[in-house]
Amino acid sequence: MERFHPASPESIIKALSDLGYVAEEDLAIVLFLVLTLRKPLLLEGPPGVGKTEVGLALSGLLKAPLIRLQCYEGLDLNQAVYEWNYQKQLLSIKLLESSGSSLRDKEDLIFSEEYILKRPLLQAITQADQSPVLLIDEIDRADEEFEAFLLELLSAFQLSIPEIGTVKATHKPYVILTSNRTRELSDALKRRCLYHWIDFPDFDKEMRIVEKKLPGIEEKLLKQVVGFVQKLRSRELAKQPGISETLDWAESLMTLGYRALDQKTLDHTLGIILKSNEDIKMIREEGIESLV
Amino acid sequence: MYTQAYSARSISSGMVGFFRYLRSHGFLIGLRETTEALEVAHTSLVRDKHRLKTALAALCCTSREELALFDRLFAAYWDTSPMDLAERKNQVTVRGQVRSKINTSLVLLGRGKGTGKEEEEATSVSGANAEERLRETDFSKIREIDEKPLEQLAERLFREFAVKMRRKLKATRKPGKVHLARTVRKSIESGGDPLKLFYTTRKLKKRRLVILLDVSGSMDKYSFYLLRFIYALKQEFSNLEAFVFSTRLISITRALRNMKLDSVLREVSHFASHWSGGTRIGECLRDFNRQYSKYVLHGSPAVIILSDGLETGNPVLLGSEMIKIRRRSKVLIWLNPLKGMKDYQPLAGGMKAALPSVDEFRAAHNLKSLLELEDLLTHV
Repeated sequence: MERFHPASPESIIKALSDLGYVAEEDLAIVLFLVLTLRKPLLLEGPPGVGKTEVGLALSGLLKAPLIRLQCYEGLDLNQAVYEWNYQKQLLSIKLLESSGSSLRDKEDLIFSEEYILKRPLLQAITQADQSPVLLIDEIDRADEEFEAFLLELLSAFQLSIPEIGTVKATHKPYVILTSNRTRELSDALKRRCLYHWIDFPDFDKEMRIVEKKLPGIEEKLLKQVVGFVQKLRSRELAKQPGISETLDWAESLMTLGYRALDQKTLDHTLGIILKSNEDIKMIREEGIESLV
Repeated sequence: MYTQAYSARSISSGMVGFFRYLRSHGFLIGLRETTEALEVAHTSLVRDKHRLKTALAALCCTSREELALFDRLFAAYWDTSPMDLAERKNQVTVRGQVRSKINTSLVLLGRGKGTGKEEEEATSVSGANAEERLRETDFSKIREIDEKPLEQLAERLFREFAVKMRRKLKATRKPGKVHLARTVRKSIESGGDPLKLFYTTRKLKKRRLVILLDVSGSMDKYSFYLLRFIYALKQEFSNLEAFVFSTRLISITRALRNMKLDSVLREVSHFASHWSGGTRIGECLRDFNRQYSKYVLHGSPAVIILSDGLETGNPVLLGSEMIKIRRRSKVLIWLNPLKGMKDYQPLAGGMKAALPSVDEFRAAHNLKSLLELEDLLTHV
């Protein structure tokens, strides 16, 4: 398959726009670098600004498979890299009992690739025909040991499996890491990555995003919704509404048949954008009109 | 070393000079980044200044703070032209900035007239140095311009600290060894083949933490930050119990769970101002022992008392109540902000009476001293 190779950031912006993703010039430049330098990209920013979406969009752009690893506390190699298929090994031993092959042969067989359950990271470097996009989501949630383990993958694009040896990438994956900054990542990891900070979109950009995703929305409602969310974000909230909240809210309003924001509408649907009881109470008490 | 781009002859040498300039400002840039930057210089990105900046920033920066600094340095390096400024003068200032480290070490060696203290007041550096300085600033001696950055730094560090502590203290989720007896017994189902492996699991042990914070007038400056510290810990430890006291004791565990930090701070300061006039640590601890210890001190948790130990009540009572708490806790830690002062001796009546029951007596006057609690709490 022909590999997509953009000549400039503009072509990335355009291609992404065709896919329904609104990209700013800065992000396009960074993605351009990812494709040129083949370096992993670390995206940081508040929750809900669309960091994960970048991975999805890139995979759409390259028409490459997306392999996603969601990190969490206690994530270990068994879930991230590989695991031996113990049951299959055991059954094979049973079947081989009467075959008369030597112990050595049996060992080689049951510790061959066929008996490995590939988890995301191993999948990412053993793709047969093209470079996949590897999305390592919320890396800050994983433990520090795991982060250290990633270093080998991110710089040399290879992994070590004790029983088999080093597995080199057949096609270098495009790697995107996201982090919500609940803890500082190690310098070693950061130095292996390109860095980009994504912030909440400004009014115009958010308008364009909503319009792109919900083409049928009426101009007036669109302006009100985005304006309201933008104002909310400037407030001290326990949980700031992200872009997906804006989209959900706009879509709900459309589905419910509202054509403009008013007190009643807000009362009914405030829970879609504000997810913390304290925030809802605070905004209700202050009166909603001031924000419309 | 070039201090501005115009003194370089080619884009490559300009780039190399720029990277040296970044390095001198604390950026961690290796050969690899330099090579990659030169690669970037051969793409179309180099034709547009904004694009080049974005691309280089992605290569060189590792945090949002660095991005901001990068912006300034980029402008300083690439955007100055010899026509705009008197060349010589400008170069001198930039050089001066870069060399500032060397100068300070000279001062410390005794060539300058200043002592360490003057040094501390005179510095207004940016980046990592500023953070280092803030970490060591006594909470009560914070200058007004430092308040905001210190608060932000404290919030970030406290949160990281809390996450780290929780991970360390959490009962491990990793399975233990294969439980042979159970595996063999269960293998009978599958005709003797141990298809399912069973592991021994370690018993979950809940770690508990009880914190008592003094919010009396004498602790004013400190309790503001200490409360933030407790708040951050509470976000990660569900079984943390917290109390504040001055002349009376109240539990703030629920407030910490349900309210935002600002509201907690407001409530507590309201509480503290209402019962001003001295600190009755002994009486408060007695109330604690009577009312709460049954619920809070079971299973011997770690107990931390944050107070300056300036008791206006009866020191003897304080001593005896401390013994009671000590008996029911695994470890009793007293953090005293005054201990950060030079020559401090725990001679005040209250502190003296309490000390025999205290396992660890430490300072808590700046961020650094609080973050050093890590080793202590890990080994509880």
